[in-house]
Amino acid sequence: MTSCDYCDKPAMYHDVRIENGAHTTLNLCQEHALEAGISLGPIDLSIVLNVDAPFSQSQQVISCQDCGMTIAQYKETSLLGCPTCYETFSEQLKHVIANVQDNRTQHVGRAPAAASRDVNCHLTIRRLLRELEHAVTQEQYEEAAFLRDELRKIHEGGTIHEN
Amino acid sequence: MKIDPVANCPFNNENPPCGDVVLSSRARLARNLEGFPFVHRSTAPDCKEVSSLVHQICEVDDTNVTLEWVDLDELDTLTTEVFVERHLLSPALATATHPRAIAIGPELSRSVMVNEEDHIRIQSIRPGVQLEEVLQDVQTLDVRIEEVIAYAFDEQLGFLTACPTNVGTGARFSVMLHLPGLRIIKDLQRVKNACEGMSLAIRGYQGEGSKVTADLFQVSNQVTLGYTQEQLCSMLANDFLPPVIEWERKARLTILQNQKSKLEDQTFRSLGLLQNARLLSLKEAMQSLGNIRLGICTGIIEDIGIETINQLFIEIHPSHIKWKYGKDIEDEQIPTLRSELIREKLRK
Repeated sequence: MTSCDYCDKPAMYHDVRIENGAHTTLNLCQEHALEAGISLGPIDLSIVLNVDAPFSQSQQVISCQDCGMTIAQYKETSLLGCPTCYETFSEQLKHVIANVQDNRTQHVGRAPAAASRDVNCHLTIRRLLRELEHAVTQEQYEEAAFLRDELRKIHEGGTIHEN
Repeated sequence: MKIDPVANCPFNNENPPCGDVVLSSRARLARNLEGFPFVHRSTAPDCKEVSSLVHQICEVDDTNVTLEWVDLDELDTLTTEVFVERHLLSPALATATHPRAIAIGPELSRSVMVNEEDHIRIQSIRPGVQLEEVLQDVQTLDVRIEEVIAYAFDEQLGFLTACPTNVGTGARFSVMLHLPGLRIIKDLQRVKNACEGMSLAIRGYQGEGSKVTADLFQVSNQVTLGYTQEQLCSMLANDFLPPVIEWERKARLTILQNQKSKLEDQTFRSLGLLQNARLLSLKEAMQSLGNIRLGICTGIIEDIGIETINQLFIEIHPSHIKWKYGKDIEDEQIPTLRSELIREKLRK
């Protein structure tokens, strides 16, 4: 029997995907499947029969769009992958944060001062590169061309187009 | 490296405030850079980029805080271990293999750890009760860094950290307490209850997961969200410490009044042991030093200064001994050299 990708227990949930010719598999035990928000109840035949239909929200393993972290990986280390993880896993983290922070959920006090233009520019380049990579992977060539032009403008010392 | 890693003692200066009960105060701010994965998900180039950004800031000396930059990959093992024993580096950062660094002040009080669990950890340690001062120290460095670097920040959750236990202010304040009196009169539970009531964590000398040694306790805030940095600092400085210091001083007085012979016996047994032993384990030496410290604070011993004991608490750790006697000494020689060092210091 196939074992879980995150522990040695037998996998109860199997997800095989073929996208753009790339083949990915995910095998989870009951515990890790539950942690990932996947219900292991009776099989929904409509999903099995309709192969082209997208997976329902409850059956998708949510991963952070910026760093690829899943909630199961977070549970292993108790560490998040990047600042965006707080947004991606906001529902799951709500309880964790309330628990470790004495039911306090709202920051009070100082916020950071605005950083210099150089740093903001540097961060914009990183964000655009990440979006460009994503657009190319998704074959969104029009979007990719737009992002490439934005990057070119920055390198040529032009202005940054802010959405 | 220009800095002497064994210079100064984090527990000593001229008359540290409430130094009889509180050895040191510490503040730490956890910060991360916007646009980068947290350290444990970062690639080596990511870590290098973060390190290089922070390095540029530390090079600029515009706030009269001079920090020396030390790449930990280039630092020898012994100096790294000395920094760990001084609580300037975490054991995890010392043994990691990704690009990481520490920027450190010459007085070894202020430092910035780079690429620990969070990209940046700003820290300051001072002797005695100086919580407001250490908060000021870390805030100065924080402001200097944030002028140049965009921190990961959320309106609701505050400063975003790799672990949700640090989110919000990212601020951790701690004090190192010496509570032998409360241990002897069996009233430590009162301190533990106070900690529980104020959401404070109480741990041993080495922090998380460590056992209590020499009646030394580290107390720090557990909650980092929903209070300002100043409120968290004040909770420890103004709500927790004054009654605890009073309880400990009263306990010492009670012992002196009601159990003087027992206290004298414990003090002079410990002194006799340290003045005569030829092999001393760290645990035995720490506990005996703690007993002698109580003897000094209660006036039973008058010819040894409290600062000598404070200094020995640090200097009898293995890497400090290797630093003093030569890095090539074998581990088996350490108990002998420790006993030599203590005898020498107590003779002065």
